[in-house]
Amino acid sequence: MKTKESYHRLDPTWCKGCGLFGVFDALKRAAVALDIEPENLVIVTGIGCHGRLNNYFRSYGFHGLHGRTIPVATGIKLVNPRLQVVAVSGDGDAYSIGLGHFLHALRKNVGLTYIVVDNRIYALTQGQASPTTDFGMVTLSTPLGSKDYPIDGPTLALAAGGTFIARGFSGQVAHLASLIEQGMKHGGFALIDILSPCVTHNKVNSYDWYKQHIFHVEDVPGYSPRDKAKAWAALNSPEKIAIGLIYEEDKPSFEELVLPDMEKSIASLDLKVDAVRLGKIADRFR
Amino acid sequence: MIKDLALMIAGKAGDGVLFTGNVLAKLLKRHGWEIVTSRDFPSNIRGESTSYAVRASLDSIYGLSDQVDILLAFDCESILTHLPEIAANGIVFCDGQGLTALPPEQARDKSFHLFSLRALAREQFGQEIFKNVIALGALCYVLDLDASLLDGIISEMFLKRKGEQVVQKNVQAARFGFKRAREITADSEKHPLARKPDNDRILISGNEAIGLGALAAGCRYFAAYPICPASEIWQWLVHHLPDFGGAVVQTEDELAALNMALGASFAGARAMTSTSGPGASLMMEAFGLAGMAEIPVVIAHVQRLGPATGMPTKSQQGDVLQWIFGSHGEFPRIVLAPGTVGECFELTVGAFNLADKYQCPVIILTELDMGQNYRTTRAFDFSGIRVDRGKLLRPEELLGMAEFKRYELTEDGISPRSLPSWKNGSHLAESLEHDERGYRDEDPLNRRRMMEKRMRKLDQASPDLYSPQVWGCQKAEVGLIGFGSTLGAILEAMEQLRVKGIPSRFLQLRTLWPFPAAEVRQFLGESQDIFVVEHNFSGQLATLIKSQISPCGELKNILNYSTLPFTPREIVEPVLRSR
Repeated sequence: MKTKESYHRLDPTWCKGCGLFGVFDALKRAAVALDIEPENLVIVTGIGCHGRLNNYFRSYGFHGLHGRTIPVATGIKLVNPRLQVVAVSGDGDAYSIGLGHFLHALRKNVGLTYIVVDNRIYALTQGQASPTTDFGMVTLSTPLGSKDYPIDGPTLALAAGGTFIARGFSGQVAHLASLIEQGMKHGGFALIDILSPCVTHNKVNSYDWYKQHIFHVEDVPGYSPRDKAKAWAALNSPEKIAIGLIYEEDKPSFEELVLPDMEKSIASLDLKVDAVRLGKIADRFR
Repeated sequence: MIKDLALMIAGKAGDGVLFTGNVLAKLLKRHGWEIVTSRDFPSNIRGESTSYAVRASLDSIYGLSDQVDILLAFDCESILTHLPEIAANGIVFCDGQGLTALPPEQARDKSFHLFSLRALAREQFGQEIFKNVIALGALCYVLDLDASLLDGIISEMFLKRKGEQVVQKNVQAARFGFKRAREITADSEKHPLARKPDNDRILISGNEAIGLGALAAGCRYFAAYPICPASEIWQWLVHHLPDFGGAVVQTEDELAALNMALGASFAGARAMTSTSGPGASLMMEAFGLAGMAEIPVVIAHVQRLGPATGMPTKSQQGDVLQWIFGSHGEFPRIVLAPGTVGECFELTVGAFNLADKYQCPVIILTELDMGQNYRTTRAFDFSGIRVDRGKLLRPEELLGMAEFKRYELTEDGISPRSLPSWKNGSHLAESLEHDERGYRDEDPLNRRRMMEKRMRKLDQASPDLYSPQVWGCQKAEVGLIGFGSTLGAILEAMEQLRVKGIPSRFLQLRTLWPFPAAEVRQFLGESQDIFVVEHNFSGQLATLIKSQISPCGELKNILNYSTLPFTPREIVEPVLRSR
C-alpha cells in the first residue's frame, strides 16, 4: 500500500498559504487512492510557480518549456501508454502561451490528466495580468486595470470537444483529490482546472472570495455531467463559479486510435535491424 | 549510341509534369542509366510554369548538365522559357500552336514538332489526362526504349490503386504515343540509348532516403507539421512506421512537433521530426531544451529559400549558422550535411546512434534540391547497421545501483539514462539548470560543473563523426569547399575545369558541427586558390571556416542566391575569371 509519503521527495517552498500546497496534497492523495507505483507516474510541468511541483514529487518528471507541457506529455503517453501521465500548467502556461496545444489535445482526446492551476495572475514574474485575470484588475502590467476579458478554460474545453471537464478549488483538497482521481481513471483527456489563490500577488481572488463565489454542481438538483446542455449552463452561471465534475463522455483515446498495439509499447520495442524486411521495402525504389 | 542525355518536361502546374518526369526517370533507370533529376516548380497548385529535368548517363553523374537535348512541352510558353538551354540538334515536342512564330535563328539546328497531346488524348482516350502517358510513349520511340519496361512501371503505379482496366488503357495510350512519334519524326532525330544491366541500384529522393534511414535505425516515433519541402520524409514514414510498431503524429505546429519528439525520446523511443525554414525557427527553443535536458533527438531540416516564408519551393543553403549557433544559451549539438542520396540514408542511420550516444540533438541538414529530386545510387546495405543506444541502462542494472543520478558528472560528460516505469530510475528531465539528479540548482559551482559536463560530451566525438571527403586530384592549385547538394554541380564543374587543363580538388564537409578543423586546415594548406561554394547570399560556410580556423588565408566566395541550384558553369566561370 502506498501512502502520501511514497510520493513525497521534498517539502515545497511556495509562499505560505499558496494554493499549490493543496494541489500537491490532492495529487498525492489521488495517486494513493489509485495505488500508482511512483515509477509509473510521470509529471510534466511548465513554467510558473506550479513548475516546481515535480521537484517535490517522487516520480519521473519533465520540467520543460513555458506552455509546452501537453506535447511533451503526449509524446510520453504514446510511447508508453501504461504510464499515468499528468501534465500540470499554470493559467499562463495553459491558456496563454500554450493555448493552441490545449485545444488540440482536447480534439485528439489524448489520455492525459491535465491539471491547470489557475491563480489568475503571473506570479513567478511578480504579478502581471494573466489570461484569466478579472477585467479591470490592477496588476503590475495593467496599472489602469486589465482591458482584456478573461478566458474560461472549462468553457473552452467543452466547446473544443473535451471528454472530461472538471473544476476544483485548492481550498477543498478532498474534493479536488477526488476529481483528480476520476480524471486519472478517465480514458481520454481529462481537464482539472483548479481555482487556486495566489496569496502574494492576487489580493482579490482569495480563499474567502472563492468560498463566496463557488457552487458545487453535485448540489444542483438533477445535474448530470453526461448532459452537455446542463454543463454549458453550469459554466455560464452569471453569479457563481461551478466546481465539480462538469462534463464527461466516453470516446476512444488518441493512443487507442493511433498505436498499432496498445499492449506492446513503443518503449518496449526491439530495434534489432531486420535486413531482409527492410531490403524488401527498399526494392520499391528499384 | 548516346551515352549522356538531358531531357526536360515542361508545362503549367497541373499538367502532370511531375508524374511524367518521375515515370521517365524510372524508365531510364531501368535501362541501366544513372539518373539525376531536378524540378523547378511554383508554390502553387495550378496554372504557373513548372519543369522537370532528367539527366541520364551511362557513367556516374552527380548533377545536371548545362543543356537540354529533348524538350517535351505541354505549352508554348515553356519553349520560349527554355529555348536558350536547347542543345544543337535538340528536339522539341510541343502541344499547342504558335511554334511557327519562332525567329529562324533561334530555331536553327533544332527540330520542332507540333504534337497535339491534349487533343489526341481526348479524341483517342476520352480524357486529357492520358496526354502524359502518350508523351512517355513518344519518348520511348525517340529514345528507342523498351516499351515493355514502361508497361511495367504503369502497372506498378496503377494496378493496385486503380485496377486492370486503367492499366490497359494507359498501356494503349503509351503505344499510341509511340506510333504517333514514329509518324511525325524523321529517322535522323532518333536518340537511341545504349543499355546496361540494371543491377543493384535504386532511384530515390533525399527525403525518401532519410525516411528509409530513420526506419532502419529504429526510429519509432515521428511527429511533424506539414511544410514544403520536408513533408515527403513524413509521407514516406507514415506508410511504414506503424508496421514496425511505431507511430507518426501530425501536430498542431512545429513547437509541438519537437517538444513531442522530446517527450517520446524521454519515454524511450528513438524519435524524430522534420521541418524547413519557418518550422526550424519555431523549433529553436525546444532545440535548446534537448541540449539542456540532454535528450536524444533527430531533426531533419530540408532547407528552402528564406527568410520568413521566402519561397517554399526553391532550394537554398541559408540556415546553416542557425543550427550551429542558434537557440539562446550554449549547448552541444551535431549538424550533419549529406551530399548524396546515399549519404542521406547513411548519415540518418548514424544520426540516431550519435543522438543516443551523446544525448544531444542531431540535425540532418539538406536542401530542397536534395530532398525532392531523384538520383540513382547503389542499393542500401542494411546488414551492417547496428543500433547503439549509448549509456541507456537496462532496468536490472538500475536495481543494483545505490543511487541513480541522471546527470551524473562523468569523465566523458555523458551520464547514464533510465526510462519512466523503471524502478530506482526516477529523475527529473529539467530545462532549468539542475544538479546530478535533475533537480533545480542555482549554485555557481554546480552551474560551472554542469556546463563543462555538457560541453565536453563532444570533445572526443570526432572518430564517430563523418569526416570531410576529398574529391579530385591529390594536389591542385584550385581547391573548392562545399557541402550538401552543391556536390553535384561542383563535381561536374571540376570535370569541365579538367577538360580546360585546370586540375582541382574538392573538400566536401559532411559534418558541419562539431567543426572538422584539422581536416579543413590541412586542405587549406594544400591548395592556393580556395573557393567556398554555397547556395546563399552571405557565405555562411566561409564565415564558419573563418571563425574556426585562424589565420585561414584568403577564401573566395562562389555564391548563388537565386531560385535555381548551381549549374556547373556558374562555378567554372568565377574560377576561370579569378585566375
